[in-house]
Amino acid sequence: MAKKVLLVDDSTTTLMMEEMILKQRTNYECVTAKDGLDAISRAVVEAPDLVLMDVVMPRMNGFEACKRMRMEASLSGIPIILVTSRGEEEYVETGFQSGCNDYITKPINGPELVTLLHSYLGE
Amino acid sequence: MMSDLPAKHEKRTSVQSVGDQAKVYAARMRLQNAIDQADALDAIREIAGNLIGTEEVAVFKVDKQRSELWLYWSFGIDPNKHSVLEVRREPKLKQVLNGKPVFRLRSSAESLLSTDDPVNALIPVLVDGNPCAVIVLFRLFPHKAGIEPVDREICEVLSNCAGRAIEPHHAR
Repeated sequence: MAKKVLLVDDSTTTLMMEEMILKQRTNYECVTAKDGLDAISRAVVEAPDLVLMDVVMPRMNGFEACKRMRMEASLSGIPIILVTSRGEEEYVETGFQSGCNDYITKPINGPELVTLLHSYLGE
Repeated sequence: MMSDLPAKHEKRTSVQSVGDQAKVYAARMRLQNAIDQADALDAIREIAGNLIGTEEVAVFKVDKQRSELWLYWSFGIDPNKHSVLEVRREPKLKQVLNGKPVFRLRSSAESLLSTDDPVNALIPVLVDGNPCAVIVLFRLFPHKAGIEPVDREICEVLSNCAGRAIEPHHAR
C-alpha cells in the first residue's frame, strides 16, 4: 500500500508544487490541509505516514499544530517535517521543541525534499 | 567495481528538473486562477515567498509619460521609503521598461536601484506586450545565495501573467 503524506499549507501555490513533485518522483499518496487546525482533523481521519507542514498559517500555526498532534495518542508517532522560511537556530529550536522531527527551508528544493521524505518513508 | 555516482547524479538532476517544472507550473496556475485583483496580488506575494525566496516585494505602476513609477502595492517593506521611483535616476529601470527583466548577479554587491535596501530583481509586468508595472524583489532569505535559473523562469511567468493584478479589466 502506498505511503500517505499530509501536506499542510495555506498557500495553494505551495501545495500544488509539493503535490506535483511527490506525484512525479515518489509513489506516495498525497492529502492536503489548509492550516494547522484543518491538519489535525485531516490527520485523525487519514492517518498519514508523514506530515509536511508550513509554520506560518492562519487559525493555527505549524508549531501549535505540531504540539497538539504530539498530545493526540493516534498522531504522536507520525514524523512531522516543518517548512520554514527561516533557517535561524532559534527558530529551528522552537520547531524541535514543538515536537517536529525535521525541518526544510523555503523555497523548497525538489531533490532535497524527495531525499528527506525517502529517509523517513523509504523509496 | 563500477561507481553508482553517475546514476545518482542523473537521478538527482532529474528530480531537480521536476522540482523546477513544478515551481513554474504552480506559479502560472496560481496567477491564471486568481479570482480577482486582490487574489492576484496575493498570488504575487505567495510566489515571491514560497517559490523564489523573498518576503519583501513591491509592485510599482508606470505613469503615462514613463518617467516615474508609483508604489502600487507592497509586502514586507516600508512603503514610505519607496513611494516613487524616477526613471532618469534609475538606469536599470530603462532596460526594464523595454520589457526585459534585470537580475542582480550572485557575485555582485551592486543594488539595482538607488535605495539602501538590496534589490535582487526588477520584473516588467506586461499587458498587451507593454510594461504597465514593475515587480521589485528586495532582500532574499538569508539562506538563499541569489537568483537561480529557475527563479528567472518564474519571473518570466510573473512578467507575462501578473498583468491582471495591476490591470484587472484586461481579460485573461
